[in-house]
Formats: sequence, C-alpha cells, structure tokens
Amino acid sequence: MDELILELKNRIIEALSLEDLTPEDIDNDAPLFGDGLGLDSIDALELIVILDKHYGIKLGSPTEGREIFKSVASIASYVAAHRSK
Amino acid sequence: MAGGISITGMGIICAIGHDAAQVSESLRRGKSGIGRMRHLDTAHSELPVGELELSNAQMKAMLGQDENAIISRTALMGAIAIRQALAQAGTSSLAHRRVALISGTTVGDMDLTEHFFERMKSDDSLLSLPQSNECGQSSLRMASLCGLEDAEVCTISTACSSALNAIIIGCEMLKRDEADIVIAGGSEALTRFHLNGFNSLMILDKEPCRPFDSSCAGLNLGEGAAFVVLEKNAAKPLAYIAGYGNKCDAFHQTASSPDGDGAFLAMSEALELAGLKAEEIDYVNAHGTGTPSNDNSESAALKRVFGSNMPLVSSTKAFTGHTTSASGSIETVICLLAMQEGFVPANLGWSAPLENGIRPVTALLERRLEHVICNSFGFGGNDSSLILSRKPLDSGSAPGTDYGFETAADVLVDSAEDLSSLKEFIPMMELRRMGKLLKASHLSSLRALAAAGLESPDAIITATASGMLATSQLFLDDIVANGEQLLKPTLFMQSTHNTIGSAIAIRCRCHGYNVTYSQGAQSLEWAIRDAERQIATGKARTVLVGLYDECTELSASFARRAGLPCSPEVYARTLILKRKQ
Repeated sequence: MDELILELKNRIIEALSLEDLTPEDIDNDAPLFGDGLGLDSIDALELIVILDKHYGIKLGSPTEGREIFKSVASIASYVAAHRSK
Repeated sequence: MAGGISITGMGIICAIGHDAAQVSESLRRGKSGIGRMRHLDTAHSELPVGELELSNAQMKAMLGQDENAIISRTALMGAIAIRQALAQAGTSSLAHRRVALISGTTVGDMDLTEHFFERMKSDDSLLSLPQSNECGQSSLRMASLCGLEDAEVCTISTACSSALNAIIIGCEMLKRDEADIVIAGGSEALTRFHLNGFNSLMILDKEPCRPFDSSCAGLNLGEGAAFVVLEKNAAKPLAYIAGYGNKCDAFHQTASSPDGDGAFLAMSEALELAGLKAEEIDYVNAHGTGTPSNDNSESAALKRVFGSNMPLVSSTKAFTGHTTSASGSIETVICLLAMQEGFVPANLGWSAPLENGIRPVTALLERRLEHVICNSFGFGGNDSSLILSRKPLDSGSAPGTDYGFETAADVLVDSAEDLSSLKEFIPMMELRRMGKLLKASHLSSLRALAAAGLESPDAIITATASGMLATSQLFLDDIVANGEQLLKPTLFMQSTHNTIGSAIAIRCRCHGYNVTYSQGAQSLEWAIRDAERQIATGKARTVLVGLYDECTELSASFARRAGLPCSPEVYARTLILKRKQ
C-alpha cells in the first residue's frame, strides 16, 4: 500500500502541476479538497483521468469521485480494490 | 426617438435550418436538430450534436466557391448567414457607407488547423494555412466571401458569449458614429478541438440535452452562424435593440457562481439601459446549456432579477445544440423570429424542475412579444444580455457625456525571466497552472494597477492575436498523442482567448465590462477604441487595456520556415486608461 500511495502522490504532483511539493508534503489522510490541500473541480477531473489512464478505473462524473478523492489514502484503497491494470 | 439602434436584416444557419424560414418552421414544429454526427471526423461519434446537414462542399457551391478552395467551415457558415442578412436589409448601396463587420468566434479556423496540424510540422507548402489560434482570420475570410473587402473587420472572442458581445459592440459603434451600418454576429463550426475539450470537462451529455430539467447532465455541442444588420433610424426595422449589458461573473474559468452574479448584473444593466422594469419583459431566451452549473446559476440570477414576476423562459439549445461562440447571435435571431411571428419556442426535454430552478415553457405558445431578453454567457464568466423591443427605447448615449481620457500606467513585460516574482503576489495553488502568457499578463496588469493606484478597474478589455497559443498547441498534441482519449481538462480550460481577461477579472474581483478582441496586429487598436467608448459615455472611469501574446517553439519554427519574423517569446503590455479630470 505504501508503494501505491507514493506512486499516486507522484502522479498527482505531475498531473496537477504541484511541482513545488514533494510526496512528503502531502499527508496521506489530509483532505485534498477545500481546507486541506485546496484542490478544485478541475483537479477532480484530472484525478479521474489518472484513475482511468493508469489503473483502468472509469468514473462517470466528478460526483462519483467525491468520496474516493477525500484523501490520498482513500484513493489508494479504492484503486487497490478496483484496479484493472 | 432618434438614435435607436434597429435591426434591418438577419441571417441564420444551424442544425434546425439553413435560413430564417426553415429555423422558424423547426421551432414551430418542435423539431430538434440534435442527432448523430455526419461530418465531423472524431473518435467520439457516440456524442449527439447539433450539426449542420450541409457539407463544406455544398456550402462552397452555395457561395460560388471552387470545391477545392481551402476555406474553414466557420467562414463558410458565417458568409452564408451574412449574405442572408444583407439581402434582407436591402443595403445595396454599401459602397457609400462606412461598414463594419463585427464577428464573434473562438475556434475560428480550427477545423483547418487540426486537419493540417501534424503535416504542417514538416510540409512547407501548408505554412500559409491557419497554424495557430488567430481567430481573426476567419472573419476576414467571411468579409471577402461577402464582398465586404472595404469594411472594417473585427473579431470578438469571449468564448460562448462572443456573438452577443459582437452585437453589443456594433450598437456602441453606431451610437458613437464610428460606422453607418454594422453587420454583427458570430460563427462557430464543430471541431475535434472543442468537442474533446468539453468532453474532458465532463459536461457533454450522451443523451439529448435537457436544459433546466432536474435530470440535466450536460450540453450537446452544436454549430452554426447568425448575423444581424444594425442601423440607426431605419424606416422599417425588424426590431430595435433596446438595451444590453456586459458583466463579468469573476468567479471561475469554467464554472458559474452559485448566485449567478454575472448574469444578474448583465440583465440588470440591460434593463436599466432600456429603461424597462423587469415585469415588462415578456420572454427570456435563456443561455440554458443543460449543465447543472449554468442552469442552477442562471435560475438563481433570473429569480434575483424577476422575483415573482417571472416572464416566459425557454432555452432553445435542445433544438440547436450549444453553438458556443455563435449562440448569442443564433438565439438573437430566434428571438427576432419569435417577435415577428408571435410565438415562444419550447424548452424541449424538460419535465421537472431543478431543486431551485425556474420552470421553462415546455410547449410552443402563441404570444405577442413586446420586449424580449436574450442571455449569452461564456467561460471565464463573460456574461451578456440583450433586450429586443418593438419600439425604440434606448436613445443612445446620454447627451453631454463625452469624457476624454489619459494614460495612468503603461507596463510592459516581455521576458519570461521576471515571472518568478509573481510568487510574492499569487499563491502557489493558483500560480501552478499558469503558463508564461498568463503569468506575464498578470504581472504586467498587477504592476499597472499598482502604478495607477487602483485595486480594480471599472472595465477590462484585452487584445490578443493568438490568445493562449501554448496551451492550445499542447491540447492539439494531446488529441493526436492520446487518440482523443483521456485528455487534460487543465489545458482546454485555458485555451480560449478570453482566458486572460477573465483571469485578471477573477484576480482583482472586477465584475465590470469585460471583452476580448482578436484581430491580428489590429487587436490593440480595437481594444483602445472600445476603452475610449467606455470612458466617453461615462460607463467606466478606469479601464485596464492589455495586449497579450506569446510565441511557442512550434510557432517560431513555422515562422522561420515561412521566412516571417518571429514574435517575442512573451509580450504583455497593460495600459490603465483613466477619465480626464
């Protein structure tokens, strides 16, 4: 799981242009949206692309991602359970 | 009443008809133009669209052009609509009058660009084709296809409100006596570029769209063109333009504010200019795209403007699809037809309201209409409203207001080296997505505002030849590299020409007049003319005018191979113009 978390953080940093951050700067359990890291609705779309492109997980809308994208840890457990690649 | 702006001709071509009579017939019969694609070559043929029946070859034949001529679909549709409008206006003596063609578009010649883009990288014979985002080119082509070589030509690019803003600017030019006759409207062809772009934002419905319905799940793209002929003091006009408003939501690049601030302000300004009370409006042709973001926000704005006196409302996008930059003029022509023939078109696909949504007209109504509002909103919160009336209400600019202006600041940023200093002004989370052009334009505008001692101007007018060239080319590359699958929404959301003007408005919370001109090397001149109008008529005391362009490695290589001078890597000049005391 730690490996997947690190991989996800690196992918998030790249896709969301967060080059000023390192994986260590992102807390596994901290909220990604709102008062946490401060991601927005366009970032949610980029996260959907990451899930599809790298793990074969298709989400129909950002609403479906709301629970999954709470934190890096929640994304990791969803990916681990549903990945097809 | 002298000075009223009248509409003397109209032309339209879209998915529900190739002229005004056909469009009216489809509206009356409730016949939607949304269906399967016939012409656009894309991997996403599953998406329903409001595509024109006509092929490019058929349109070239209609215009008397050689079938091998390379002309963009945007220019072909535009030229057909302009010719119709001029024919109806009967303005045979254009030669002795000052004529202006003001056209709205965003993707312009993009259908040609995306077709030839990969080959242009190596084939020198293709270098004369549109290779960038210069959307002003398509307007020049329309002018030449319509015998308007002597007309002044200008392109407005405020995303989906472009055509409505073109009409508003046409009215202002007539009032200031800058032209005798203005042909204004817009044209936009379906392209892989924006179909994939909207798809990456996940706002395309895979079913026919249902504006304002509780189940609305996105829009269907459409295409088309519409133009109107505007004149002062015409003898027998189709209708008058009684008022208009252009405001900025200043909220987000692609989402609308929950309370519909921009839309509320635009409708309110239009009513004020027309001297009408909200309850005097008979019908609103809503922007109503079918996305929950727009339809909730527009509902909130309509409730704020009209309260318990809600007029009849419908969105006609379930007929035409969302014709993006052309939608403002296409829906203006639909309003003109409704007024002429006395009907209110239905809002197809509606069965139950959104939680706080308005209830639109669901079946055709026969009704005499005196005053009608047409709403048109764009990415970046470029929100505009137009009021059409049977009587001339707006008497033009108030007498005695003709203020002069002075330049309070003039700041140039033309090197990428300076840009790291932006970190002091803008948080990392906002800075992270900005390319060099957005950074340079922010730096020059923030410095200019500071030099003029302003936090926010009254109006923002930007000029750009090629707009967001770098992100647009990256998105074109993304389409090719990934076969139209899983593209980056971040790139598309920053691809429209008004991205810069609206980003500055969001940064300095400016809800005032906001427009973007894109007419090659003349862009800045047009922007300054508009700023003069805003100040002279007392609408703004301070105007931020910016000229923002960039060059990419790819565009530099195109220029070198074509033997043309290279543009600077980045060029961001911001002027603050101020009313003379």
